[in-house]
Amino acid sequence: MPSVPAEIPVLLPPAGIEFPERRSVDTTAPLSDHDLMLAVRDGDLDSMGELFERHHGPLFGYLAKLTGNRTAAEDIAQVVFQRMIKYRHTYRDEGKFTAWMYHLARRCASDHFRKSSSSPLAVDPSDLEDHADQSEGADQSALNRDDHELLRRALGRLDRDDREVLLLSRLQELSFAEVASVLECSVGAARVRAHRALKALRETYLQIQKENPA
Amino acid sequence: MNCQACTERIAELADQKLDRETEALVRAHLDGCENCRREFDELSHLIAALDALPSPKPSPALRAKVAGAIESEKLTLSMESEWAERVRSAAPERQARGPSWIQVLVSGLGVAALVVLGFVLGERNATQRQLADLRVRVDTMGQLVEQSVLQKRTTGDRLETVLTAARSTKPDERIIDGLINSLAFDPSVNVRLNALSALYGHADQDVVKAGVLACLPRESNPLVQISMIDFLVASKAREASPELRKLSLDATANNDVRDSAKRAIDLL
Repeated sequence: MPSVPAEIPVLLPPAGIEFPERRSVDTTAPLSDHDLMLAVRDGDLDSMGELFERHHGPLFGYLAKLTGNRTAAEDIAQVVFQRMIKYRHTYRDEGKFTAWMYHLARRCASDHFRKSSSSPLAVDPSDLEDHADQSEGADQSALNRDDHELLRRALGRLDRDDREVLLLSRLQELSFAEVASVLECSVGAARVRAHRALKALRETYLQIQKENPA
Repeated sequence: MNCQACTERIAELADQKLDRETEALVRAHLDGCENCRREFDELSHLIAALDALPSPKPSPALRAKVAGAIESEKLTLSMESEWAERVRSAAPERQARGPSWIQVLVSGLGVAALVVLGFVLGERNATQRQLADLRVRVDTMGQLVEQSVLQKRTTGDRLETVLTAARSTKPDERIIDGLINSLAFDPSVNVRLNALSALYGHADQDVVKAGVLACLPRESNPLVQISMIDFLVASKAREASPELRKLSLDATANNDVRDSAKRAIDLL
């Protein structure tokens, strides 16, 4: 199985260089993710820049919550995009881009966990909280922040499999059928696993609440 | 609908992702089941809290690294394309072959195939000097590919790619190019053997025979060498005889390889 080649050398663009704007989106409606990925597959690598802009945020958020580690999440996200570039020829005409991307992300995360030879560390709330979206955080009440912290800790205590299915099932980009395809199981099994994980989260959350009475 | 089926759909109900029929069934069950209704209230609240959990944002370095990876890949493609152009200009008689040939030239994984295609197209008229020249180019490309592509991927990664290509029911030119590429340049014996094995299904194609033949001189592992010889015999590649004769006389080659080459000459 592939490992996470965090050390992959990359050619950094000169300072100030941004992703080139797509040539083909100026006269028509924005291309779908699928169309962009087909263009990447056919050699238009600039389209990967557009896909990055659209998806790196949710992908990173998913990986950060899954690993509980910002640095690891960033490394894995980088590898996911590198693999999308490298394996672009394997993208199928009938595929859905986000399902393919999260399928790769799942594999990259598994490699990461195996490489670190342990289950992911429990989420360190401070690690994620410090970098949370400040515009949202500014409006949050102290109570909400406490709730968030409790929830993050509960999420961090879940088994990795539970956390994975739970986070995948909450991604707006994926239907349950697509979650099932990412997890390589039936839709029914994915539904059962997601529900079980949700109940485990509730129990863990209540447990932590008992351990830390207000 | 029973309680289990109902509660398993709570998340989808909360997300309004159920089809009308299923939603009606779930709601009907909730109306008549206090336990499930309580479960729905609790879990939908938890789902909302989970969705509201702020996500951290990546550092700007992620964008720079991915942009770098894209530029790096574009550079590799551009170098391959440039090299292909040089091959094309060096062989003007092949330009009349039509657009499909040009497509192969510019395809991402087609660089190694260009070399072997050169063997095929120029087979009848090629002089020994031209063959030697192409072999030098194979070696040059080997170095380029090793530096630019292969070192970035693990053996398992590459093996998986080869096995996926082997499973493809209707491989196109690009997949065959990739397999020949792996056979020529992959540092792992296992990957090269699997690539060769995958090529058996296309042994009747001239480009595949020529590709394996082009790879033989640069192969150093006896196991792979013998497997390649077997392949050339199985595909009845009579054009391989000079190379096999050379190998059978090579004092530095493994004895089993030399014997295999001799047997292959007889068989061909």
